[in-house]
Amino acid sequence: MNRIIILTPLIILLIICIFSLTYLLSGKDPNKPPSALLNKNVPSFESTSLYDKKEIIRTTDIINRKTLINFFASWCSPCKIEHPLFFEIGKKYPELYLLGFNHKDTNSDAKKYLEDDGNPYDFVGVDSDGLIALEFGVFGLPETYLINEEGKIIYKFMGPITIDILKNEIEPLL
Amino acid sequence: MKLNHFFRVFHITILSFVFFTFKTFATGNIDERVKKLTLELRCMTCQNQSIYDSDAEFSNDIKKIVKQKLQEGKSERDIKRFLVERYGEYILFRPLMNYNNIFLWSFPFILLIIGLFFVLIKTKTKKA
Repeated sequence: MNRIIILTPLIILLIICIFSLTYLLSGKDPNKPPSALLNKNVPSFESTSLYDKKEIIRTTDIINRKTLINFFASWCSPCKIEHPLFFEIGKKYPELYLLGFNHKDTNSDAKKYLEDDGNPYDFVGVDSDGLIALEFGVFGLPETYLINEEGKIIYKFMGPITIDILKNEIEPLL
Repeated sequence: MKLNHFFRVFHITILSFVFFTFKTFATGNIDERVKKLTLELRCMTCQNQSIYDSDAEFSNDIKKIVKQKLQEGKSERDIKRFLVERYGEYILFRPLMNYNNIFLWSFPFILLIIGLFFVLIKTKTKKA
């Protein structure tokens, strides 16, 4: 009887620990830190066009249309890997608005990059000081966000997008 | 007239000294606060390094924004909240005291109570 009294709290503790560990570790990849902005409203931003300083894009301009936001730079090698995929996305989903943010780059380098590799974006905004990236919680380039019609971030991907990611993770949301 | 001129120069010297001393002190103070706060923040692109210890671009950006916000008069709590809203609680080395983390914070006390319970049972059994 005494043993049962002693062992019961231990067993309860063990069960609590197992449940907590399972809950904490379920579906979490330590290499992918969680995104705080997922399922939240897109942060407010304002950016000028890479090609025309008079052209400005604001948060309000992307509400009511599905938008794919991609942070890129000419100095970012992984960005080059995913770049051709944005042409495919643009062709397959013409109603999807492709917004590129050129991050901490010079205008001339960015223009040359888009001239050489092509420009798949509907609008290229300038984020030279990195403040827009900071609002989006960007850690490193490239990063891609999918925004729904209500202006909520429904998907975020860190690193270069691959065909598998496009087919398995992005396309089901489009 | 000469004495008057001397006093004027003396006043300007003293005022300049006070101004520069205050400015140096204020900047030093801000730098100390930046250090203290960034030591509590995790560099998201490094392996177990604080923002303060890291030279990664991400860390340098955060250091800049922390300094800027402190100069604007924002409190450490406000800055932490600003960063957590964007990067999640993961950016903090010390988890926040909230309902989500209640188990985490209370677990040592639960263990302590269970330990005391065992000690009590053992003492009682020995006495018997």
